[in-house]
Amino acid sequence: MEPLLKLALDIEKPGDIKPSSSYKIKARVNLMEQIHAKKMKKKWWWFNPVVGVNQPVFAGSFKILVVVVVALIVFSTIGGGTVYASRDSLPGDTLYPVKLGTERIRRTFTTDDVDRVQLELVFSNTRLREMEALANKKSSKIDKSIREYEKNIGKAIEKVEQLRDDGAPDNMSETVASAISEHQSILDRIEINVPEEAKPSIRNIKERNSNNQAGILRILAREDPVRAAKINLDATQSWLERAEAKAVESGNGEVEVALHQFEARREFGNEISQVADAENNEANAVNEMHARATSRQLEILGTIYGKVTERGKNAVERAARLSVEGHYRAIESLKKSGISDNIRERPQLPDGIPARVKERILRNVHEEPEISK
Amino acid sequence: MTELDSLIQKAAGGNSEAFGRLYDMNVDRIYKHIYYRVGNTKVAEDLTQEVFLKAWQAIGRYKITATPFLAWLMRISHNLIVDSYRRKKDKIYLDDEFFVTEPSPNPEKAAEINFDKQRLRANILQLPADQQQVILMHFIEGFSYAEIASSLGKKEGAIRVIQYRALKKLRQILEKERDLR
Repeated sequence: MEPLLKLALDIEKPGDIKPSSSYKIKARVNLMEQIHAKKMKKKWWWFNPVVGVNQPVFAGSFKILVVVVVALIVFSTIGGGTVYASRDSLPGDTLYPVKLGTERIRRTFTTDDVDRVQLELVFSNTRLREMEALANKKSSKIDKSIREYEKNIGKAIEKVEQLRDDGAPDNMSETVASAISEHQSILDRIEINVPEEAKPSIRNIKERNSNNQAGILRILAREDPVRAAKINLDATQSWLERAEAKAVESGNGEVEVALHQFEARREFGNEISQVADAENNEANAVNEMHARATSRQLEILGTIYGKVTERGKNAVERAARLSVEGHYRAIESLKKSGISDNIRERPQLPDGIPARVKERILRNVHEEPEISK
Repeated sequence: MTELDSLIQKAAGGNSEAFGRLYDMNVDRIYKHIYYRVGNTKVAEDLTQEVFLKAWQAIGRYKITATPFLAWLMRISHNLIVDSYRRKKDKIYLDDEFFVTEPSPNPEKAAEINFDKQRLRANILQLPADQQQVILMHFIEGFSYAEIASSLGKKEGAIRVIQYRALKKLRQILEKERDLR
C-alpha cells in the first residue's frame, strides 16, 4: 500500500478556487426569481417581453426590436402620464411593472459600459427608496425590492468586472464601492423601521453587500490601494458601530454577526496591505491607516464587552485579538520602511476589558502592548 | 437544533429566504468541487446553478438525519456532472487557471513538481465518475468515508474499495506516462 499512499499524499489541495462575485450575485438572483416564478402575477402578460414576467429568451437585436415596438405601443396607448405616475409606485402596486419596464427600456438604450454602471446605481437607489417607503408603511413586502436591488447591484458589479477584463482604466470600482457604503447606512435605517418579520431579509442583504463590496475593492486596490483601504476601514468601523448598537438593544446573536463582519473586513484590510506591498504602491500609507485605526476599534470593542453575555464576550475577545494582530502586522511593515516613529507602536487595550482577558488576547502576539489600569 | 437544521427545515417548508441562506453557505464549496471535476469556468457556473435549483425542488424530501446537507448537495452535483459528461462526449477545454503554478526557490524542481501535479489532476478527470468523486471528496475536500458513502448512496466498505481502485488506476496511468517520456 505504501506506493499508493505516497501517491495519495501527493494529491495536494488545488489553489483557492472561488466563483466570481458577479456570478454569485447573478446566480442567486436567478435562483430566487425561479423560486418565486410561480408566485409572480401575470397581469401584464401582454407586456411580457418588457416586464420580464416568464420572459422567453430573445437574442440580441430581435430583443431590442421587440422592446422598441412594445415601448411605442405602451407610450402611445397609456401615455407618458402613466409612465410618469409609475415612478412612485411600490411593489404590489398596479403600475409597478410599468416602472420596472421603463427601467428595462432605459437599460436597453444605454450602451456605454460606464453609463450602464451609473444607471444600475440609480436603479439601486430607487429600490432603496422603495424599501424605505414600504418600511414607513410598516409593510413586510420588501422581498421584490430586495431582489430587484440585488439585480441592479449585480449588474453594476458585472460591468465593473467586465471593464477590468477588457483592460479599461478602472474609474468605476470606487464609485460602486462607495455607493454600497451609502446603501449600507440606508439599510441600517430601513432595518429599524421594517416589521420584525422583514428584518432578517435586510440583515442578510447587508451581509451580502459587505462581501460584494470586498470583491469590488479588490479591483480598486490594484489601482488605488489607499482609497480601497479607506473605504474598507470605514466599512470595518461601521460594522463595529452596528455591533455596539446591537449590544445595547438586542441579544448576542446580532452582535456576533456584526463582529464576524468586522473581522472579515479587518482581515480584508490585511489583504489590501499585501496587494499594496506586492504592487509596490503606497504600502506605507495603507499600513499607517490600519495602524491608526486600531485604537478606535479597541475602544468600541471595550464598550461592547461590558454589554454582552459570556458568549458575546468571547466574540469580542476574538475581534480584539484580530485587531491587535493587524496592528502589529502594520507596524512591522512600517518599521521595515523606517517610518513608524509617529505611530503608537503598542495599542492600548481599553478599560472595559478585564486584565486577565487582555493577557489572553496578547498571548500570541509577539510584543506586550500597554495595558491601561 | 442547529442553525443549519433550522434553515433546512424552513426551506423545506417553502421559505425561500432560508434557502437563500443555505445557498450563501454552500455555493463556494459546491462550485469549487464542480470546477475541479470539470475544469471549465462556464460549465462549473452552469452546473452549480443547476445543483441549487434541483436542491430547491428536492428539499422537501431531504431528511436531516440521513445525510449531511453538504454531502447531499455533493450527490446532486455528482449526478449532474455525470449527466454533463454523457451529454458532452467531446473534451471540455480546461481553463488555463486550472493548472496552478506555485512559486518556489528552486524553479527547475518546482516546474517538475507542477508538471506532475498538472498531469495528476488531468488524469483524475479520466477516472470513472464515482472514482473521481471519491478521490476529490476525500483527499481534496476532506469528507469522511461515511459522508462520502452517504453522498453516493453506497456503503462505507464500497467507498474504500472505489478509492483503492482509483489510486491503483492513477498509479498505472502515471507510471505508463513516465515510461513513455
